[in-house]
Amino acid sequence: MAGFAHASEAEMSRILDFYAVRWEYEPHTFPILWNLEGDVVESFSPDFYLPDLDLYLELTTLRQKLVRKKNRKLRRLRELYPDLNIKLFYARDFRALMLKYGKLALFDGLSGTSGQVSQPALAATTREPTLDVDPVPAAAPSATAQARSARSAGRRPPVRSAGTKPSAT
Amino acid sequence: MTERLADLHDDVGEILLDEATISAKVQELGSRISADYAGQQLTLVSVLKGSLPFMADLMRAIEIPVRIDLMEVSSYGGTATESSGLVRILKDLSASIADEHVLIVEDIIDTGLTLNYLIRYLRGKAPATLRICTLLDKPARRLVEIPVDYRGFTIPDQFVVGYGLDYGELYRNLRYVGVLKPEVYTEVAVG
Repeated sequence: MAGFAHASEAEMSRILDFYAVRWEYEPHTFPILWNLEGDVVESFSPDFYLPDLDLYLELTTLRQKLVRKKNRKLRRLRELYPDLNIKLFYARDFRALMLKYGKLALFDGLSGTSGQVSQPALAATTREPTLDVDPVPAAAPSATAQARSARSAGRRPPVRSAGTKPSAT
Repeated sequence: MTERLADLHDDVGEILLDEATISAKVQELGSRISADYAGQQLTLVSVLKGSLPFMADLMRAIEIPVRIDLMEVSSYGGTATESSGLVRILKDLSASIADEHVLIVEDIIDTGLTLNYLIRYLRGKAPATLRICTLLDKPARRLVEIPVDYRGFTIPDQFVVGYGLDYGELYRNLRYVGVLKPEVYTEVAVG
């Protein structure tokens, strides 16, 4: 069972659980660069996939000047998979979220780090919060549809991940 | 600890929406809602606590008969969080909304997480229609796309207080919507 790579991801998982939003942790890896032999040399694994919303969520608590590499990968991802619904939460976004929830002190302990947890990692795979009413129907194409779209455009579909976090993300 | 209203004003760096601007928009929304629901039975559902002033003004700007009801849900980070880890309905509707036309009245939509939960919850009560009215829409950090039927103002990505919106349960009674000075919450976080 994999753990979260960063405490901010663990906190986001608790927020999603709280509001009964189903999530999966890094379920898909998207190749974004291949060598001449066709081998994948760079990939992107968004932190969360919210299946009911068909939304990928990527968090970063790095300082803004360190985000450039991640932004570049995200641009590449969007070029290759234009139908992918993905949202990037920068440090300032996560800080605002923590402010909203009265947990600003927690953020201040996370900001600008290399992204590693400083506390025992929480278990993370897939969570299905209980809810006694029908879920909201997904408004956007499913992940499967995204994969089909990528294939039809001559690109490779996302690679299933076993819960491991690629070092480049 | 801020104790006087004057101190609360001092904590606001910029007035984003003054009283007259808010009032004009509420009247406009009330007129639209009155026209759209003419001849129908409408129930306004206010989400406590932030939407109280907006609800009070909006219901008086609506010129058709309306029922009102109140709901309150726990917020992440509140005391209920620590005990359960799940959102809780702190106050449920006091009457059935089955086959009723329901309009949720919100003060602000930010991530959309709370409203997404409420929509799912209220859909389970089988209303005839379920629509959304929000005074403020802050789309910068939206996680869940919510179809908003009546929107007062789209606001920038700033921490706002007043007209029902709070920070630490204060500032709700300001008559305007203003941007809280960063040093107010920074000092609290550090302290």
